[in-house]
Amino acid sequence: MTMHFTLNSRPVESEADGMRSLLSVLRDELMQRGAKPGCGEGRCGACTVLLDNKPVLACLLPLILAEGSEVRTVEGLAPPRGDLTPLQQALLDHGGLQCGACTPGVLMTLTALLEHTSAPSEHEVRKALSGNLCRCTGYESIVAATLSIGAAGAQQ
Amino acid sequence: MATSVTRAGSLDEAVELLARYGDDGAPLAGGTWIMRAWQRGERRKQHYVVLAGLHALCQIETGVGVRIGAMVTHEELGRSRAVSVPAISAVAEAARTSAFPAIRSVATVAGNICAEPFPEADLVPALLACEAEVEIVTVSGRSQQPLETMLQRRPRLPPGAMIEHVLLPTQANRISAYQRLAVRGGGEYAVVSVAVSLDLDQSGRVEAARVALGSVEERPRLSPGAAAALIGAPLTGDRGLQAGEAAAAECDARDGLDAPAWYRKAVLPALIRDTVERLAAGEAAG
Repeated sequence: MTMHFTLNSRPVESEADGMRSLLSVLRDELMQRGAKPGCGEGRCGACTVLLDNKPVLACLLPLILAEGSEVRTVEGLAPPRGDLTPLQQALLDHGGLQCGACTPGVLMTLTALLEHTSAPSEHEVRKALSGNLCRCTGYESIVAATLSIGAAGAQQ
Repeated sequence: MATSVTRAGSLDEAVELLARYGDDGAPLAGGTWIMRAWQRGERRKQHYVVLAGLHALCQIETGVGVRIGAMVTHEELGRSRAVSVPAISAVAEAARTSAFPAIRSVATVAGNICAEPFPEADLVPALLACEAEVEIVTVSGRSQQPLETMLQRRPRLPPGAMIEHVLLPTQANRISAYQRLAVRGGGEYAVVSVAVSLDLDQSGRVEAARVALGSVEERPRLSPGAAAALIGAPLTGDRGLQAGEAAAAECDARDGLDAPAWYRKAVLPALIRDTVERLAAGEAAG
């Protein structure tokens, strides 16, 4: 059975088993390796992608549930050789990343938050990040970067 | 043999497929439990029936009470105005505080009930305290029973049966709240969770009470001792603490990597006290 979905605005298809994880299909079949395999059991958030604009864990999402949907990954945030999104730039400016393992998941979680709530409170930012583990930054710089965007939103 | 995954075109088709597959099949909702089968040492089923797209299962309807479709997600429950009424705000609070956004966006109410063994399920204690009933559909028809009965008799639904709706009464004199304690503020399973639902008389005394415990024992359940300690009294923290001590005295707590049994019992009275105090102060989510 061929499954179709949209990946970063581009139609894609896969013949993979419908119970295979979306993360595995993204990384090993579609060669989009932005979403990271961290824990593989839904605890770390490194594989967070957007499914119809909502954050989901690609490691726990069977491919069949992506069928007909719009999937967005970190590769889709900024065009190749184009400007970073305001959120990406803010993370750079504030030192909101170090080793980078959590960064794709953090970016997708916060992109969803900022698209839904253009000027989130610190509490809302921290609540949104509760499923994204970061071992490097202590979160402060990630939170500061997000708050700095304010009403500008994640995308322009 | 490869796993078969079939997208059901209707509820009737889903039930027929599940009946045909028997023990070899299961419904697939958000997938967050099934995709971790390996972690529990479980084999995957041979057949999965996809419920996504069955819109009738995705509705929250109000009438005599609130009727929640099996496929309603935690995120939808948490932001539903119909669920944020005092009688069942425990359910809204459980939905909002469970896991984290990327789980809440797909994990469903029926999935939370049917996951087994799942002592840490957040919605289940809230639903128990709020006297939820479940509507179960099979090829032979529909039946309705209290969630408590379903959990006692059949930790798992028999093959071919699935939850269609969860029904919650919303009496005007009822208030409820849910609270959880985890090793960090968000994103973790609860070490202990508590749901308290109270019916108040006109003077504010407790006429009837239901207290449910999550994560303490192997399965969430109601605590009769805690409920009895609250009935007939005004809402105070002291009375809440007594209820918590009664709950701790009658429970058989479980050991886990997140917390030992003694800790769950030790912290339970304070969590129930805090929940009752929050209700007394009118601070539960509305």
